[in-house]
Amino acid sequence: MILSRNPVTAAMFMILSLVGVASLFVLLEAFFLAVLQVLVYAGAVMVLFLFIIMLMDVGPDSGKGAKLSKKRILSGFIALLGVGLLTVLTLEYSGVATVATDSADHWQDVTEETSAAGANIVFSKSVKSFGYGLFTKYMLPLQVAGFLLLAAMVGVIVLSKKTDDVDAHNKADGPSPGTTNPQSEEA
Amino acid sequence: MDITVGTLLLIPFVSAATILLFLRRNGKIASYVSVAAAGAILLLSLQIIFSETASSVPESGDTIADSGVTWLEIADFKVVADFRIDDPEARNESKALLFVVSFVGFLIHVFSLGYMADDAGKARYFGGLSIFMFSMLGITLADNLVLIFVFWELVGFSSYMLIAHYFHTKEASDASKKAFIVNRVGDFGFLIGIVLTYWIFGTVNLSELSQLMASDPARATTGIALALACGFIGKSAQFPLQVWLPDAMAGPTPVSALIHAATMVAAGIYLLARIDFLFTSEALSFIALLGAAMGLYAGFCALVQRDIKKILAYSTLSQLGYMAAAFGLGLEGVALFHLATHAFFKGLMFLGSGSVIHSCHHEQDIFKMGGLRRRMPITANTFLIGVLAISGVNFLSGYFSKDAILLGAYNLNLPVFVVLYLGAILTAFYMFRLYWIAFCGEPRSKHVAEAHESPSVMTGPLVILAVLSAFGGFEALWPETLFAAFHDDLHVVHGMPGHMWMVVLGTFAWVAGALGSRRLYGQVGNEDPLIEKAPALFQLCYSKLFFDEIYNFYVTSIQQRVARILEVLELLFISGLMVRGSAGVAGLFSLIGKSLYLGRIHGYAFWFLVGTVAFLAYAAGWFGHF
Amino acid sequence: MDTIGVQDFLIVSVLLFSVGFLGVVLRRNLLLVLMSLELMLNAVNVALVAFSRHSANMDGSLFVFFIMTVAAAEVSVGLALLVALYKKRQSVFSEHLTMLKN
Repeated sequence: MILSRNPVTAAMFMILSLVGVASLFVLLEAFFLAVLQVLVYAGAVMVLFLFIIMLMDVGPDSGKGAKLSKKRILSGFIALLGVGLLTVLTLEYSGVATVATDSADHWQDVTEETSAAGANIVFSKSVKSFGYGLFTKYMLPLQVAGFLLLAAMVGVIVLSKKTDDVDAHNKADGPSPGTTNPQSEEA
Repeated sequence: MDITVGTLLLIPFVSAATILLFLRRNGKIASYVSVAAAGAILLLSLQIIFSETASSVPESGDTIADSGVTWLEIADFKVVADFRIDDPEARNESKALLFVVSFVGFLIHVFSLGYMADDAGKARYFGGLSIFMFSMLGITLADNLVLIFVFWELVGFSSYMLIAHYFHTKEASDASKKAFIVNRVGDFGFLIGIVLTYWIFGTVNLSELSQLMASDPARATTGIALALACGFIGKSAQFPLQVWLPDAMAGPTPVSALIHAATMVAAGIYLLARIDFLFTSEALSFIALLGAAMGLYAGFCALVQRDIKKILAYSTLSQLGYMAAAFGLGLEGVALFHLATHAFFKGLMFLGSGSVIHSCHHEQDIFKMGGLRRRMPITANTFLIGVLAISGVNFLSGYFSKDAILLGAYNLNLPVFVVLYLGAILTAFYMFRLYWIAFCGEPRSKHVAEAHESPSVMTGPLVILAVLSAFGGFEALWPETLFAAFHDDLHVVHGMPGHMWMVVLGTFAWVAGALGSRRLYGQVGNEDPLIEKAPALFQLCYSKLFFDEIYNFYVTSIQQRVARILEVLELLFISGLMVRGSAGVAGLFSLIGKSLYLGRIHGYAFWFLVGTVAFLAYAAGWFGHF
Repeated sequence: MDTIGVQDFLIVSVLLFSVGFLGVVLRRNLLLVLMSLELMLNAVNVALVAFSRHSANMDGSLFVFFIMTVAAAEVSVGLALLVALYKKRQSVFSEHLTMLKN
């Protein structure tokens, strides 16, 4: 995905990996999350991405910046180094974690039971236990998440409404990347 | 706080605030406001003194501690402040001082109306007087050391303000600074004493302190007593901080009378009387010796002064020495009695000198006066009564109070008695010297020859004070509630042996002093005859034992150098290392922080990665297990 | 290892995360950067569910739900910002977005 220069291709690969993650969820017996993953990501988020890509009509990443400069090679190298470190660390950590629970590859049995509110909610396949957990132990975070979505919605509306003003200013100032006029932005 | 007591304190405060805020340009109204306030204070305090009812006396100490306002609270440290006249430990002392302050204060306010009539800074002057009355009443009524200290500083401030009334003269502004700084030295000791008291006893409330002391007398330490006595030494200008009082005479004469003779300097004695239970016998005998030495030393200094007010100032020092000696002998009632009579006759003499100075166009040199007895008969006669009283002429007020001190000293501490007795002879000698030179003989300058009697607003207070100076010694003439503070100790002295001896010795002292000075100063020219007859003695006295010179040397040569060294240290460590250093550290961090700030998204992404790696490394136990 | 354990899921997770991170670092197109961010969030989700399953505890899965919510909100706001920015600057390349510097 990250290697493709064309955004549309990249988005397609992205969908692929998201579906892959969904399948991993299935493997982990988290069916509800798998469904959610497909619905939210593949269904909503990626559609949004594609929509924007088409709206902006961004072509393949090309031109002056497209060539790999020395700087970007260096940064890529450092990033690879960091990522490698990350991998090593993760493996080490998983070693620590699994040793700590002293049953490295033993999946505990999944039961259909649900426990009392607030206590440890036992992992289960059912959507019911999922909802139970959400509306008991995680009631407040759920509300906050709801507000977050509301805020995001309002924010998006405001941002897209403001584009008219920005257009008007753009016509006056002319598009000039790299320089800004803070006052016009404030208005 | 009792409502009348509150009102009593509020009156001068409101008066001072009104004058200083609104009436600065209107001296006449300001003076009337201030005098009216003083009159109201007098009436109200008389009412408080005489309206004692049984209900106003708390039965036990617990009720005292409960009342009052929490004035300051820092963790365990708590100051409950209150003003009260009915403190069982100090009721009598408070009442006595309250009477002296309000009564003498009122007379001096009235006198000031005449004395300051033509002064440009009248409003400032009367505002200062009101502040002083406020703070002095505060000292009288406060029930704990911290509050006393606050008002202690306030009287210091008003004294500073009033000494510097003629601030355009260098003498007055220097003197006010000197008074302020010298007082700070004493007050610093006082402050240390208060802190020590709190440390040892856990309270600064005077009645609680006295209860603690009563339950366990062994807790008193000489150190605390002497530290607290530092306040007294500074305020009452005792040895070795006596240097400020003579210079303080640069202020207006009524101020000298009120602050530097009758009340403020006497507040030191009052403080001692309030904290008497804290004194060990060592501290007491130290105070006694200190006072006796002061009595003699100031007498010698007064012997050669030419300035009428400075003579009186040294005489005040000497009399304060007597009071300190009486206190040191354990006769605090006698000390307070002498305080009261001294307030009368010294207030009288200061006001008399004020009257003289006023009519002689601010001539203060007694060798330029002379013959004033004929020109100003009322002033001269009342002044004479003051001189007689301070000299201890039989059956005048000074005779009762001073000879009581002498008798007590005779029986309790012979060295102190000898010194004090010499001081008594000297007192008579220099006071009569002043009288002979200034009021007898022929006028020796033009202004004096044209002098005329002061207006009745000035002579009135003189007459009243003269009457009190003459008859203030008779116990029968005092109201019982007022005399209660003096009563016990006076009767202790009364019961001592050697009474007849004392009468004879006392009479001898003032007769010898009077006749001796008559012989020497009966006929004088423009110069002090002592210069020719005993030049060595004159020089020695005139130098005042070089105290000013020693202090000057100390300040210029030692203190300045220490200050210079401290300044270097301060520059190096506080300013350099701590202030600049901490700023430098902050600056360093900001430089580092700034370098992290790239302004490019990729940079931030890398920082994110670093954070993630660090977190995982922590989770994997690279930094040690959690 | 004969069965698939939590460790294998963690490896997948960290690989996904690394890919996402490389995407953030290497791509200049902000759209792709946003996508890579989503990928990183997904990687974390995988790890969370794996742990949740491993310790038989529902909390991890519930967190995944919240992460998805936040991610959706983030994407919508981020894309809206991107559109506004594009209209102003005619560019979606990260190296043009340096107005905070200087």
